[in-house]
Amino acid sequence: MTGRTVAERVARLRTDFDRSFAEPARVLDHESVELLAIRVGDRPYALCLSQTSGVHPDRPVTALPTTLRALLGVAGFAGTIVPVYDLAALLGHPIAQRPRWLALTAGTPPLALAFHELDHHLRVPVTDVVDSVTDGSGPRGYLDGMVRLPDGNRSIIDVPATRALVHQLAGHPLDPEESR
Amino acid sequence: MAEGRDPLRYFRVEARDLVDQISAGVLDLDQRPGPEPVGRLLRAAHTLKGAARVVKQKEIADRAHAFEEILVPHRTGAGALAAEEMQELLRLNDEIAAQVSALQSPQAAAAAPSSAQQPAGQDPAEALNPVPEMPMAARAATADLDELLDAIGEANARMAPLRNGCTTVERLHRSAATLADQLRVGRGAPAATTRASAERLARELGSAGRRFTDAVDQIERELHDVRAKAEGLRLVPAGTIFTALRRAVRDAAESQGKRIRFEAYGADIRMGAHLLGPVSGAFLHVVRNAVVHGIEPEAERLAARKPAEGTVAVEVERRGRWAVFRCADDGRGFDLDALRRTARARGLLGPSARPPDQQELLDLVLHGGISTSPEVTEVAGRGIGMDAVREVATQLHGEVAVRSSPGAGATVELTIPLALLSMTGLNVEAGGTVATLPLDSVRGCVRLSATEAATAATTGRIVYDGGAAPFLPLAEALYTGSTVPDSPSPGAAVMVGTDDGTVAVGVDRLAGTSALVARPLPDLAPSTPVIGSVSVDADGNPRLVLDPQGLAAEVLRGHVGGRPAAPATAAPLPILVVDDSLTTRMLERSILESAGFEVDLAASGEEALELARSRRYGLILSDIDMPGIDGFALVERTRADPELAGVPAILVSSRANAEDRDRGRAAGAAAYVIKGEFDQEELLNHIRRLVVRA
Repeated sequence: MTGRTVAERVARLRTDFDRSFAEPARVLDHESVELLAIRVGDRPYALCLSQTSGVHPDRPVTALPTTLRALLGVAGFAGTIVPVYDLAALLGHPIAQRPRWLALTAGTPPLALAFHELDHHLRVPVTDVVDSVTDGSGPRGYLDGMVRLPDGNRSIIDVPATRALVHQLAGHPLDPEESR
Repeated sequence: MAEGRDPLRYFRVEARDLVDQISAGVLDLDQRPGPEPVGRLLRAAHTLKGAARVVKQKEIADRAHAFEEILVPHRTGAGALAAEEMQELLRLNDEIAAQVSALQSPQAAAAAPSSAQQPAGQDPAEALNPVPEMPMAARAATADLDELLDAIGEANARMAPLRNGCTTVERLHRSAATLADQLRVGRGAPAATTRASAERLARELGSAGRRFTDAVDQIERELHDVRAKAEGLRLVPAGTIFTALRRAVRDAAESQGKRIRFEAYGADIRMGAHLLGPVSGAFLHVVRNAVVHGIEPEAERLAARKPAEGTVAVEVERRGRWAVFRCADDGRGFDLDALRRTARARGLLGPSARPPDQQELLDLVLHGGISTSPEVTEVAGRGIGMDAVREVATQLHGEVAVRSSPGAGATVELTIPLALLSMTGLNVEAGGTVATLPLDSVRGCVRLSATEAATAATTGRIVYDGGAAPFLPLAEALYTGSTVPDSPSPGAAVMVGTDDGTVAVGVDRLAGTSALVARPLPDLAPSTPVIGSVSVDADGNPRLVLDPQGLAAEVLRGHVGGRPAAPATAAPLPILVVDDSLTTRMLERSILESAGFEVDLAASGEEALELARSRRYGLILSDIDMPGIDGFALVERTRADPELAGVPAILVSSRANAEDRDRGRAAGAAAYVIKGEFDQEELLNHIRRLVVRA
């Protein structure tokens, strides 16, 4: 082995090492998907991390007088006022207990979805995500496949579809430019 | 240091302020000659000269000096300035303004020196755009900045006690460690001494704790103040655009040989700089149009028995969440005949036989790019002015209206929505929520005793100022769609002045006033008209700002007592009463029927669900404790059913604790009435408010 190849190898190793820190973890490989295992009401679901832009516990929500049952109110995030919708109500199984967690969704206008428990964060191989059989009824329209997990299968919430539902409920048409 | 790199940093701020004063001062002097405006101008010019010399801006200093030279002979008030002296002052003013704005930033100065430094007075077209318009509106007044800096300094000063406190804590920590050592070793100092040291330590810790609490409280207050002032900086007083408009009127008047007085109102109304910039640009055209097309020549005015001097008035007004900019002149109004001819010539009117009415013609001015001016002058014409206003209106999501009365004058009105709104609010607490009322709509506050509050709640009226004002507890308006939480009866009534007269809202407590910046509710958060906008409190959480007009509508809507039945009210749908007790069912039925409602009865939750699916009800009134499906479950199930979710539900129960109330609210009950406190009138008020009508 010549000194030159060793130096090259060292340089390459160093670059790889540095890059592994520089790149966000979620794009490390395209073979896996990052999920948040959550509980909406008392049912288990999963949220795609890439479809959210933040998760916050115990954020005060100011209630609004409104006829929309699912609209819990508005919360403040760094000076922006964000509407908060109850995921359980959107998915069609509301429970009395106030949800504790807020997930900020990706896209505009700002929208937060409230859920009850955050179980854990996980990265699973894409092969563990399967398309669910859609029979077109109930909340299945707002779900996007299932993920196989050791503690059972979870439906994955389709955040864009849920956002579209909120837009429809709020009477604010979904602007293709806005949701980009 | 930043100062080292940019020696003009502070001069720019000061010079802009002085140029504003000089620009406004020259126009003041033009309208009202006298020693007082001369003195003010001299002071400003002199200060500018001195400051410019310090930072080696010779050009500016020399012009400020020339400016002073013209004014000095008039200091004692020996008559008005000659016309050419006035011209020279304006020319110098423009040059100074151009040079100061060229200093804006080192890059900007390098990029645009040629156009900015060209003497403005030489080119007649240049005179139309005298002072740079955008930067003038787009920055905060130095006085506001000074206040903010003071507030920050004050907050900083409050840190000193905390820093001292840290030293104290350090010392007490050492004492405690020594004491612990003594106790551990178990000998040395006698027990009495040790106890005395421990007691002293506790005392000192106590007083240090109190000092800490005080200091933190004070810092919190100061920071709150800082925040309010910083928020205010985002907004600029509307008056900042008046000087440019006034100058445009003066220049246009001079080129037309007319005498015109400029009036401006609403200078203190604050709004976002991004709104004022475009509005100012468009209104420059509007005021010039008013001078050129609107105001008649002097002889014509005198013949029409009008004062020789014309008037152009610009008014800024805040109307709820809207800002209104109005330009009114007392000229001849729009020349409708000319408009009709032009429109016909251009084929804009179509073949219709009916002659267009006045408003249709004015709308054409607004939309069609036609002008009333027989010729295109250098200051106005071709309908460009109206195009500019229309464009700004579209850009800012506003509206334009044009009114004209022939021979008496014309008005152009631009209404734009305000994204940010600065106001003083009265904070009120109702049902555990703090909300804010715009203080300018509050006519007064009345303290309510428990008896008065009860009377007000039953009669829906309150005696105020010799009359009876309609009354509604605020909590009821705030909890539309959910149960009103347990709260003491209103402790005060706030009298709110609206277009529909004065209405009273009952609040638990008044929580002081505060300066705030309100913004619209987010698109995805539709609310009732009671909520006008939302602000962010000191902790970063949203706080609702009530809309006086929407609140009045709610108070009057819920207000049934006394008034003859509202003419537009449709008949209520039948009410479903659910209770396993026969006595209660019958009692409730008799109350409801005597109040004019149709009633169906169900003895269980299951029966209720079955009935509810077979007939359209206006409201469900249910007991909680029932065998089988209980009241909570019944409400939940009906809420989850798309067919029934629209039928409001009221829970009636002997369970009086807050937990059950919360559970009821969470289940989706619109109200919660306690049997033990069963008040027929209260129940009926809830029902009248909630029941779905055919």
